[in-house]
Amino acid sequence: MTTRYTSLADVIGDPVFPDIDLALRRGCHIDREDGDWYQFLTDAQDYLEQLYRRYGCELVVQSDGYFFLLPTGKQFSVRRLSAGEMLVGQALALQYLDPSTVQSGGLVTQEQLLVRLVNLISDEDLANALNPKKKHTSERVIQETIRTKVASAIHRLAGMGFIDRVDQDRMRLRAPLLRFADPVRGLGDRTQALERLIATGQIASVAASGEPEDDDEDEVEA
Amino acid sequence: MGANRAGWGIDRGLKAGPDRQDTQRVSQVAGRSWHRWLIGCSQALRTNIGPCSWGREDRTSTALTHDRNPHVMLAGLARDGASLRLETVDLCFLAALHLRADTDNLTSFDEDLVVEVFEVACELAEPGADNPRKRATHAIQRMREQRMLARIDASGFVRAGEYALTRLATAIVESFLGDEHLTRESLALLTGAVISNLSELRSEAERARNDDEWRAKVVGPLRITIGDLIAGIERRQQGLDAQQQEVLLQISDLLKSDWVSSLAQCEALLDNTSATLKELNEVLMRDSSQIQMLLQSIQDVAATAGMLEAEEAAQRVGEQIDRMTAWGSSRQATWSDYYRYVHRYLRDVVRLDPDRALSRRLLEQLREWPSQPFFSLVADEARIELLRDVVVRSDRPAVRRPHESRDRDPTQVEPQDGLIDLEDLVARALAEGADDLAAVTRSVIAEFDGAQRYAVIGHVAALVAKLCSPISARPRPWAAVDEQLEIENWTIEGPRS
Repeated sequence: MTTRYTSLADVIGDPVFPDIDLALRRGCHIDREDGDWYQFLTDAQDYLEQLYRRYGCELVVQSDGYFFLLPTGKQFSVRRLSAGEMLVGQALALQYLDPSTVQSGGLVTQEQLLVRLVNLISDEDLANALNPKKKHTSERVIQETIRTKVASAIHRLAGMGFIDRVDQDRMRLRAPLLRFADPVRGLGDRTQALERLIATGQIASVAASGEPEDDDEDEVEA
Repeated sequence: MGANRAGWGIDRGLKAGPDRQDTQRVSQVAGRSWHRWLIGCSQALRTNIGPCSWGREDRTSTALTHDRNPHVMLAGLARDGASLRLETVDLCFLAALHLRADTDNLTSFDEDLVVEVFEVACELAEPGADNPRKRATHAIQRMREQRMLARIDASGFVRAGEYALTRLATAIVESFLGDEHLTRESLALLTGAVISNLSELRSEAERARNDDEWRAKVVGPLRITIGDLIAGIERRQQGLDAQQQEVLLQISDLLKSDWVSSLAQCEALLDNTSATLKELNEVLMRDSSQIQMLLQSIQDVAATAGMLEAEEAAQRVGEQIDRMTAWGSSRQATWSDYYRYVHRYLRDVVRLDPDRALSRRLLEQLREWPSQPFFSLVADEARIELLRDVVVRSDRPAVRRPHESRDRDPTQVEPQDGLIDLEDLVARALAEGADDLAAVTRSVIAEFDGAQRYAVIGHVAALVAKLCSPISARPRPWAAVDEQLEIENWTIEGPRS
């Protein structure tokens, strides 16, 4: 239950509300590391859930300790993450779970991420998944596609609160990355889990929404 | 002694030629370095402390070295090509010598002992290596070239050598053995010693009557005694940094190997380090203010006595204390972040996924994603919906414009009679016999200033055409009428009215 606020007016009157509201509307995830923002959302959760429901949105709070706004109606624009964001997000979620990352306090480098991705998916498959519209004819083009798309995805994931950029090369992993592991959370069938998530509007499949569009402006010249 | 001779025989027999050359080269290089070192020492002797023991001389030059331009120092190292190459067996060899000296209270080692120690180290680092005695000879040579071992008997090739570890070797070995960890007790002891020494120095500063007394009783102890104590604290701080890194590695390794079973051990490691850092920071905060106060009072006395050197020495120590305190705060803040992160990891990841099933399933999901893609959805609505109060719609008033008379009342203006004068001027020029337009124009525009001339020229041409009958040639020739203007000329003939 709410602790600090007695009405929605109190919640909206809080000085941090406009920034948090804008961040949530932009698709940002807010977790415990956000300090005051997380505390505000925790305290005002009941009122905000009612408020956003009127806009056709769900204020989702996960047991991993993060909030995000999920549009469920037509009143609110919704964005589907790109293939690059999905691949990088899942690889970073793996890094987040890896005990090796504990030694560096949750910091990973872009190079470590690339190594992990390339170890799991072959270079060519990865490049094709990241940019399916482009023909990857040479090794140079493949490597450039991977590097460019991964860098772009990292930038966008940072904007959505999945990671913090520490500097050009290093990033700090955050709890919202576990959202990428949602389909495999339970021990049941993954397909059923995906169907459930699609039904709740948290995930979109290709069949439902066509080929993924990558609106990156960082095409690689052959 | 027999073994000693035998060892020496092998050494001489195998290495006599090159050894001599190498020794000469090394001694030349070392000679140059030591020459500079000695110059520094002698300068220090002249400028700072005066006649003193070797130990003090050494420390004084170190103090001076700190004052030198770091760029010059680095350039010196680069120019001399200073480098170190140590293999595992070399490190084991040096460490074994250090430990042997410590155990047996040795100040030097005879050659037999050095070879014996090397053979033990070699057996550990490279078991089954061929010809360890020959390798020992090479290792001794290598260590001497890198100034890790010093031959102290000064007998050259006449007999077997007597060796000692250099300061460089000792420092390297101690950093690897790493027994200098900062604890609450060691820090409190060291800061207590600093406070006690500074109190004495303050009394000495108040009693000092001349420059020599200041240097001997205040400046020297500030640089050496206090400097050494603080360097000891800093060394232990570095030891604690290394210890922290070890803890991070241990936690990571424990989680990798035991996962959920390692929770208690990980938490204990975290809590122990946190408690140590907290205690150290408390001691640092408490004692550093007292140390700074004492240093300030020494600086004040030095300033009153005009002893710039003592003031600078006290200031330098103050800066070291600031650095030491900043270390405590910085490490505690960094550790605090790490502590929170690991606790969150243990709670959110390890406890919730005791079998590491989530990692395995996520790995599979990622591998299969290109063939079975799906996409997470996020909100993408940056616009703010402004909720306005509902108001009753009222009729809009018609758009109107104020009526206004466009007629303006007449106003009085000054008459423009310049042209009347112009006609008189043209008529006069014609009457005076001007036979072309250029002559008339020249005559008329002479009465006007530069800005008006251009406008007047046209009127002159019109008046000429009105008052007489000009003839225009084809093409009309150009004629200058002043320094800047030219006109197309007409010839004037016939009657002029």
